[in-house]
Amino acid sequence: MKQKFVALVLGCAMVASVATAATAETVKMLETGSSLLYPLMNLWVADYTKDNPGVQITTQSTGSGTGISEAISGVAQIGASDAYMSDSQLKAAPSPMLNIPTAISAQQVNYNLPGLNDVHLKLSGPVLAGIYSGSIRYWDDKSIVALNKAYASKLPHKGIIPIHRSDGSGDTFIFTQYLTFSTPSWKNGPAYGTSISWPAVPTAVGANGNPGMVQACKAAPYSIAYIGVSFLNETDKAGLGYAMLENRAGNFVLPTAENVSAAAAALVSKTPADERISLIFAPGAKSYPIINYEYAIVREQQPNAETAAALKKFLSWGISSDGGNAMKYLDKVHFKPLPESVVKLSIKQIDKIH
Amino acid sequence: MKTLIDERRFRAMRSNVAARSAIGSAWWLGSALALAASIAMLFALFWFVLVRGVPALRPEIFVTVTNGISGGLANAIVGTFMLVLGGLVLVMIVGVGSGIWLTAFAGPRMVEVTRFLTDVLSGVPSIVVGYFGYVVLLGYLGWGFSLAAGAIALAIIMLPYVVRGTDLALIAVPQELREGALALGSSTSRSMFMVCLPSAMPGILTSVLLAVSIALGETAPLIYTAGWSNYMPSAAPFHSPVGYLTYVVWTFINQPFAQSHALAYAAAVILMAVIFLTNVVARTVVDVAAQRLRG
Amino acid sequence: MTTQTQVDRATSPPTAGAASRHRPGDVALQWGTGAMAAVTAALVFLIAIFLAVYAFPAIRFNGLDFLTTLTWNMGNQYGGGPVARNGIAGMPGASFGVVVFLYGTLMSSFVAMLVATPVALLAAVAMVFRVPASLKTPVNTLVELMAGVPSVVFGLWGIVVLVPWIGNALGPWLSAHLGWVPFLGGSIGTGNGLLASGVVLAIMILPIMAATMRDVMSAVPSSIYEASIALGGTSWQAVTQAVLPAARAGIFGAAMLALGRALGETMAVLMVSGAAMNQLPQNIYQPINTMAAVIVSQLDSALTDSTLLAVRSLAEIALVLFAITLVVNVGARLILRLAGNLERSA
Repeated sequence: MKQKFVALVLGCAMVASVATAATAETVKMLETGSSLLYPLMNLWVADYTKDNPGVQITTQSTGSGTGISEAISGVAQIGASDAYMSDSQLKAAPSPMLNIPTAISAQQVNYNLPGLNDVHLKLSGPVLAGIYSGSIRYWDDKSIVALNKAYASKLPHKGIIPIHRSDGSGDTFIFTQYLTFSTPSWKNGPAYGTSISWPAVPTAVGANGNPGMVQACKAAPYSIAYIGVSFLNETDKAGLGYAMLENRAGNFVLPTAENVSAAAAALVSKTPADERISLIFAPGAKSYPIINYEYAIVREQQPNAETAAALKKFLSWGISSDGGNAMKYLDKVHFKPLPESVVKLSIKQIDKIH
Repeated sequence: MKTLIDERRFRAMRSNVAARSAIGSAWWLGSALALAASIAMLFALFWFVLVRGVPALRPEIFVTVTNGISGGLANAIVGTFMLVLGGLVLVMIVGVGSGIWLTAFAGPRMVEVTRFLTDVLSGVPSIVVGYFGYVVLLGYLGWGFSLAAGAIALAIIMLPYVVRGTDLALIAVPQELREGALALGSSTSRSMFMVCLPSAMPGILTSVLLAVSIALGETAPLIYTAGWSNYMPSAAPFHSPVGYLTYVVWTFINQPFAQSHALAYAAAVILMAVIFLTNVVARTVVDVAAQRLRG
Repeated sequence: MTTQTQVDRATSPPTAGAASRHRPGDVALQWGTGAMAAVTAALVFLIAIFLAVYAFPAIRFNGLDFLTTLTWNMGNQYGGGPVARNGIAGMPGASFGVVVFLYGTLMSSFVAMLVATPVALLAAVAMVFRVPASLKTPVNTLVELMAGVPSVVFGLWGIVVLVPWIGNALGPWLSAHLGWVPFLGGSIGTGNGLLASGVVLAIMILPIMAATMRDVMSAVPSSIYEASIALGGTSWQAVTQAVLPAARAGIFGAAMLALGRALGETMAVLMVSGAAMNQLPQNIYQPINTMAAVIVSQLDSALTDSTLLAVRSLAEIALVLFAITLVVNVGARLILRLAGNLERSA
């Protein structure tokens, strides 16, 4: 009896020690930042942590700026950002940072034109710049009519309501980059950023978040808004039309999978080793002009070896086509997978984490 | 000598009773409408979130944690409770204490200054409290996203309401009660704890409930102090982010998935239900206690 | 008969001399609670000092232009490197001004107080004098519950229900019938704007005001009310000419508390204000932006500014808001004192 009792106690002790050892090894990581990347991150974390129970990843949707800032300070291990770090940001960071693309996202320009919402109007960067700076005030302005001669009679003499994001947003970043790259007067004026100093247009309205943009566009006839591609279902449900945008080659294209991949492929060869490159206004006949890499901003130096290892494993899984870059995740948010050569560059960067 | 009621005005008006009654009735109707409108607004808001949250209101959400974009609300509910409880403990000590000092010990000059500062504190935007907490507690003191930081941020937001409420409630204690206790030979502290505070308890409770309600609905300060976590909160006061319901409402509403939206509205419904229950329970308890005191 | 002094005593604090017995328990209580009050006061100073120190480089960079320019421009984050102005580094093109947000904060709070104060006062009067005793607790609870509705829910309700209603119904009606009144005419826009912000704020501060006013009015001795009835006044006159003046200080305190909340409210206003940038509204239907809302919406982008000037400028906005709250409180107290003095000398 006594022997059995001792055996039981020893057994429990062993189990307990194994259990505590297991929990003691749980690595806790924090991902914070871009609200555009947040849905995908959550889809990833849910499945990844099921297969990797030793890791706990907390995700937060706070904004690209916060993501970069907390990745730099070390509060977060992964800073999600729709924008790569600028030269001055890299210079100001106390330790080396990595900008690792995780997926490709795109953006459409929606409008609410009674009678024309089932039609894809043709719009160009300069025209959009004119609308958002107030020089183009009415839907039947000659520059819009010139691009859409087939609908010249249907375009009404109504004031355009340009809707922009009131919160700091990667969508604003890529939209204003498109305006900057295509229109010199915009480049010398508001330029681009996650928030810009929007020109004072009397009818302009700011909305909070992509759903706010959808709601505002839906509720205001004759309005125009830039909305992330993850919300294409919502905008279709709301009955909003979306535009064909003029790309660098002068063609007007829709944000289809083919056109987005064409744009990514056109710039793959130009992607530098640190992978900081804008995919906006890509060359190529079919390229859709508003696409971007979604970045994971990471510090090269992690506080300890376990965190570094766990981080490397998660990021490698995320960019691989059997892992995070599988279509079952990307399709849910209408993102596109990373091209092969970009994945190779990312792997090289991930290797630098220690 | 100035009397409270201006007799001249009343005498002049005594003659036209009918007119005055009519005007009075019109105003009483207006006041009834104002009250009805206030209550109707509450129901309208509750209905607004209920209708949209119904798809997500299943029993499982109370035991499942969020998975970032959908799932359950267990971690957020527990987190909210812990944060508000922590804040409440802090604010009861500091707030009621300040109120007691204002009515029992402070000279008139200090009373004015303290009341003034309390009113100023109530005007500090919650985002400033949050960022203040972020820089001082997370950055300078190195606590990281934590229960303690979140509780302190909430306590700062609740403080003006509790101080002012305790102040007003203690003032309203009839002078005779106060003086009676003193005349019977009790000390200030005795009369405070045995006579004034019990008598003022309903008023203090109103302000505490008001403060808790406001704290439950705050998002901005918690984003920068408690952070957010998809996991059940641990009891660790430092270095461990905590989830809370308002984050779900604020963030999930911005997701491109319908189930996220439903969960966001469900979180709002639960929040409002929790506030309702807290109010009802606390009021009943205090009413019963007050009855026993009187009886 | 109740005298003025009795009413004064009921609605103002006893002097320290009233508690003349100081026993060891009392000393402990005095020091303990005094320390708590010191913590409350210290918090205000801490936050003020934090803001001032944090914003100081921005104050130097922006100078007086901060108070006069409509522009809010963080400058080009991705152009060249930082440039210096007044000895502080900022991104090229950076120019920060608080005018748009100052205007929005003051106007939206003004509209909110205009709408909410009469409603709260009327509701409080009804709660004290007309609600039967058996229904008092449920009614009071229901009114207070609205204070617990999260500001995000107000924002959501605002964009789905209120803003379209203002844009499609209330706005056009007001403009058509009252368009000659300054600020009420002109184009309506989407409905996101000053009126929507003011109404949402009014609904948010209503419960605080009504509940506190109710408590204050209940504390007024019923002898006041009965005396004016005895003098021949109607019940309404008794309330407005006897009870309300007696509770005047407390009612004012309730309004101040509510105003504080209105000035500092962020989320709900952020969602319905229309987030105006670089321009002022021409009428009450056009977009505005408030200081608290702009801090929330711009904070994340400000963090992309590697010189941190943008974040410090946001702290400068917070400092201005802090100063406004101070000024409003001081002004209100002055008004109250003047009104009290005028009455007493009459």
